[in-house]
Amino acid sequence: MDAQPEPVSYICGDCGMENTLKSGDVIQCRECGYRILYKKRTRRIVQYEAR
Amino acid sequence: MEVGGGASNQRFPKIKIREMKDEYLKFELRETDASMANALRRVMIAEVPTIAIDLVEIEVNSSVLNDEFISHRLGLIPLTSDRAMGMRFSRDCDACDGDGQCEHCSVEFHLDVRCDQDQTLDVTSADLISTDPSVIPVDVAAKSSSSAYDASENKACLGLRQILMLLCLLERKIYRRGIIIVKLRRGQELRLRAIARKGIGKDHAKWSPAATVTFMYEPEIRINEEMMESLSIDDKRSWIESSPTKVFDIDPNTQQVVVVDPEAYTYDEEVIKKAEAMGKPGLIEIEAKEDSFIFTVESTGAVKASKLVVNAIEVLKQKLDAVRLSDDTVEADDQFGELGVHMRGG
Repeated sequence: MDAQPEPVSYICGDCGMENTLKSGDVIQCRECGYRILYKKRTRRIVQYEAR
Repeated sequence: MEVGGGASNQRFPKIKIREMKDEYLKFELRETDASMANALRRVMIAEVPTIAIDLVEIEVNSSVLNDEFISHRLGLIPLTSDRAMGMRFSRDCDACDGDGQCEHCSVEFHLDVRCDQDQTLDVTSADLISTDPSVIPVDVAAKSSSSAYDASENKACLGLRQILMLLCLLERKIYRRGIIIVKLRRGQELRLRAIARKGIGKDHAKWSPAATVTFMYEPEIRINEEMMESLSIDDKRSWIESSPTKVFDIDPNTQQVVVVDPEAYTYDEEVIKKAEAMGKPGLIEIEAKEDSFIFTVESTGAVKASKLVVNAIEVLKQKLDAVRLSDDTVEADDQFGELGVHMRGG
């Protein structure tokens, strides 16, 4: 659908640093090495049925 | 008017309105049968169209409730639906390929709220901005149409009724507010676009214009006066007391048992059992009149209760039309003559 997929950014669970990961990357914070990262909400509009 | 030969069962139902408010209606339906009364009740609940939010496009949501949760809540908000009968269902709207995004079949809403204060901010139905002034959340509509709020500004002319109403509103904390959708703390934001469409309660309960619709058979209560007079005053009292609802009382002048409110009778048969226990079977006879019904209609506010009944009859007529015009309907059919009579009669 999209020409170039937007890089997905994640937030470190320890230091709060924003990381950008591509597929195949090691899931690890670049700043502190913490291995739990949280995905940020998309900036795109999301559609739902109100049911 | 050609009637199909033999005996016709055509009847002319009569309606008598007892009490009518915007959101409440009580009426009597007579000279028809239970099938008609129940059809009317079911159509009111599940087939009278209204407008409700059906599609939500969320741009930003940093509230504590997730997108699905908020979408569901938005769907359940009743909207003023006087336009609904004349609208198209989005699935058979030619103007927009069933997208449901044109004026014939949909209404757009916008909501954009951000909390920039320390106090919790309530996002309510009053924050929903409609693109069509005739389709707005019902509580917002009620607020703008009632003058009680304006009168409260100049305190000199406040009636007792208005004071009570105001207190009641303050009590429920809905003064100046609508239906709460979500609460935001500092920094949280909700921004979305919602599309409301026409629908019926059969598809989803959010489209039902009825809060409750009930009917009861009118009871016919016959007291055997002769047998009743053979009871002592204490026996009469204890017999009256046996009814869980106040149906009977003693006339203070004649000391006779009288029916004070036949409709309070709930068909519990307690008074009949009591009469039997007292050794007086046949003291009372209670029958449900087969052709007379007392309806109670409560609306959600989407349409007025009176309009709800009128619309229900219209929908019922359309359904009969659909049967009549169907390819499967054989005109020479015995039932067809009956149906035709009903159509013209209605």
